[in-house]
This record gives sequence, structure tokens and C-alpha cells, in this order.
Amino acid sequence: MIQSKISQSFSAHLATLRAHFKIIFTYRGMMLIQAVRLLLLPLVLAAAWLSIEKTAENPYSDADYLLYYLLVPVILNLTDSRLVFRFPMAVRDGSLSRELLKPFPPLSGYALESIANNLIQLVYLLPFTLLAGYAISDRLQLSHINLQLLLFMVLAIMLGGLVRMLISGSISLVGFWLEDVTTLNLILNGGIWALLGGMIVPVATFPQHIRYIAELLPYRYMLSFPIEIVTGRLSQAQILQGFAVCLFWSLLFALIMRLIWKRGLKVYAAYGG
Amino acid sequence: MLQAAIILKLWKASMMQAMEYRGSFAFSIIANFFDFIFGFLQYLVFFTAAQSIAGWNSDQMLVLYGVFMLVFALQFIFLYPNLVAMGDMVNSGNLDLLLTKPVNAQLILSFRRISFEELGSISTALVLLGWLTVKGAINLTPASVALFLVAIVAAMLLIYCLFLLLMCLAVFLERLDNMAQLMWSMFSLCRYPVDVYPARLRFMFFSFLPVAYIASVPASALLGTASAAQVMTGMIIALTATFATTLLWRRTIRAYTSAGG
Repeated sequence: MIQSKISQSFSAHLATLRAHFKIIFTYRGMMLIQAVRLLLLPLVLAAAWLSIEKTAENPYSDADYLLYYLLVPVILNLTDSRLVFRFPMAVRDGSLSRELLKPFPPLSGYALESIANNLIQLVYLLPFTLLAGYAISDRLQLSHINLQLLLFMVLAIMLGGLVRMLISGSISLVGFWLEDVTTLNLILNGGIWALLGGMIVPVATFPQHIRYIAELLPYRYMLSFPIEIVTGRLSQAQILQGFAVCLFWSLLFALIMRLIWKRGLKVYAAYGG
Repeated sequence: MLQAAIILKLWKASMMQAMEYRGSFAFSIIANFFDFIFGFLQYLVFFTAAQSIAGWNSDQMLVLYGVFMLVFALQFIFLYPNLVAMGDMVNSGNLDLLLTKPVNAQLILSFRRISFEELGSISTALVLLGWLTVKGAINLTPASVALFLVAIVAAMLLIYCLFLLLMCLAVFLERLDNMAQLMWSMFSLCRYPVDVYPARLRFMFFSFLPVAYIASVPASALLGTASAAQVMTGMIIALTATFATTLLWRRTIRAYTSAGG
């Protein structure tokens, strides 16, 4: 009985994911604009870091910076979550009411939409990343990369995506009470993430005390951590420790999200439509 | 004169519209303030791992940021709301309606709306530049101020050209969402000095893709490191580009065969 329920739910999720793939693929043009946005800033930052005069304690070489910003658009995209834009919109335009009537959890639907979106975006990002990687291949150091590191990286990306989705989800669920969560998102998800997640400055190059804070916060695991694994500068213990911190935040926000969802549904009164 | 009067009336209308949603207006001002603060913190964080970047030290980078925010806020106030409205205009067929009216369509479409949400950023940018002047990072002389003003006008003209190009694209494709995103992507090229780019790219940014004149040149004019020739070149490029894009706009409108409705 339970087993058939689980398999039923699984196939429903799979079918929804497939449907989202098809829907998103019809908006290819939009994806191209998004790709330009994802690629441009890392390019600018790579150029900036290659022309800086480093502080004495900065461990990264030019090759490290190149590999780092080569991978940033891909990781940035894969761990991205659109939940925080999608959910408040669904509350506002009333489509959430319709979703609630379906025998399918609405939040899973939005999450799957976000995942499908991120995966399809790879169609634009990967060719560019491979081409760019080929163009600078003589300046990259890849000899240390092995299967184990790559597996760790994939796991780290999945965990990073999960924690970002849960945080975005928690923020977006505040939309039950607040009409506009963009400011909250800007601070918790955008601002601190850009500062301490590894976008502007790779986390490994921070001075000791800032790095320590960054490693405790969840933001590093959404961007910097998977790339740090590939650069081969983390010991196995450090990698496992990273996974532990990331898991802790995932569990915490999963709990928070569940709590907000239950409370929020009670105060939710549909309008619009 | 008549056109100016119409635009002033339209500005008044869009201001009144904004005031109807006072809550959301206040909210976006707060959001923009945080945006500014985070942008500012980014530079501070950047300089925890760097000493100087392509010859710009942290104070000079803050001058660049102040100038960048000033230019960005100006485009946000005057151009951005019009760009957002344009996609809708084409889609809904309202563009046809406007084209039949005895007004200069380019002027009205470019400056129909105004948004005051970024007024906060302008004042914070000015406070930042003022503080840097008091601190001694900026050494104001009549010559540097004059060059700076010319450079800012050139920067605004260049952004207007990009805006007009996107407007043409919207008419041509009959549908183009997220145009603002494209415009903002371009802005990320201006957040760091052009000196960070490799020589060939830098040459492009000073000529065909005049990104350099949007923030880097005005900032170095303010810092007194830009030559008059450089600023004037920027102005000439900006004027030429404005002329060219206006021509392109006229041709696009002539070829336009209505859409939507």
C-alpha cells in the first residue's frame, strides 16, 4: 500500500518535471538573455582578479582564479532557485488556489519547475564554458582532478541547490503575510550571498576571520564550495566538514519551511484569480 | 516647446500614479538603499583579498562606484520605466495609437514615464562622492569638474543609445521581455575600471563598444587622471552614436507594420 503510494507520487513528480521541461523549452529566447546575464559578471570578475595586486595572504594563483570563474556560471545556475519569485507571484495572481486543489504538493511543483529551468539552461551554458575552457586551456591546471573530486563536486552542487531552495522557499513563504518579499530576499539571499558566498571574492581567499564566518554561513555552499572542491585545495576532512555544515542548514530550513507552510496556509485567503 | 510641456504633464501623471501606491514606493526606496549598501560592501570585501586593481586603489574604486551609481540611478529614473513599458506598448497595439498622434514619437516613448524609486541612490551616491572629496581622495579643480560634467553627459547619451537600440529591437521582434535585464547586464561591465581588461578588449571598449565612457572615464575625470582629449573623444562617439541610433529608430518605425491589438 505505502509502496504503491510512493511509486505513484514518484511518477507524478517525474511527469511534472517532464511537463516543465517542455514548457520551459518553448521560451528559449528568454533563456538566452538569462545566459548572457549569468556569463557576463563572472567574466568581468575574472578580468578584475587577474589584474589585481594581491594581498600577501591570498593563496590563489591566476590559474586558480581562471578555473574558479570558469565554473561560476555553471554552479551559479545549477544551485539557483526561482521559488522566491514564483511563489509570491502565485499568491498574488491566485494560481496558488488552483494548485492547492490538485492532488499534488504545490511547492514540489514550483521546485521542479525551478530544477527543470536550471537543467535546460545548461544547454546554453555548457558549450560556452567548454569553449572558454579550451581557449584558456594552457593557463588552467587540471591535472589533480580525479573521479572522486568530481563526485564530491556533484554531491556538493546538489546539496548547495537544496539549501538555496530551502532558504528561498522559507523567504517566499513569508509571502503569505507580506505582499512583497523582494527586499527580504535581497538582503538574506542576494546581498549576503554575493558578499560571502564566493561571487565577488572566492571564499578561500578571504582573510582568516572573514573566511571562518563565511564557512559557517550557508551561502558558501551554494557557490564557492563545489568549486573549492575541484580546485583540489580542500582536504578530505575539510570537504566532509563542509557537507556537514551544509546538511545542518538544509535540515534547519526544511523544518522552518514546514512550520511556515503550515501556519501560512491557515492565514491564506485567496484573492485575485 | 510643446513636446516638453507634454512630457512634463506625463511626468506629473506618473508621479501621481506612484504616490497612489505609497507603501510599495517606500518599500522600493528601502530596497534600493540596501542595494547601494551591498554594492558598497562588495568593494570593501573585494579589498580584503586585493590591494589594488589595475592601478586603482580602494579610494579610487569607491569614486568609480559613486560615479557608477550616479549614472545607474539617472538611467533608472528617466529611461528604465519607459523601457519596461515599451514591450507592453508593442504587444498591446498602443504603439500604433501613439504613432498616429501629432507628437514626436521618439521623444514621448523615451521620456513618457519617470520613476523616483532611485532618488535614494542618487543622494547616497552624492554623499559618498562628497565624503571622498572631504577625505581627500577627490581633488576638485574647475578643470576636473568641467571634464566630469562633459563625461557624464556623454555617458548618459551612450546609455540612451543602448536604450534606443533595445526599443528598436522591441519593435522589430514585436516581443521582447526582460529588456531591462539585457541593459543591466551591460552595466556589470562598468562596475570595474576598463583597465582590468586585456588590451584588445580595452580598445573595443574605448571605440566600438564604448563601455569605458560610461563609468571609468567620468570617474577618472573626477580623479583628475583623464585627459581632455579622452573625454572629448567620448563626447564625439556619444554624439555620433545618438545620431546613428536615431536614424535607425526612424527606419525601424517606417518598416513597422503593426503588431498585436
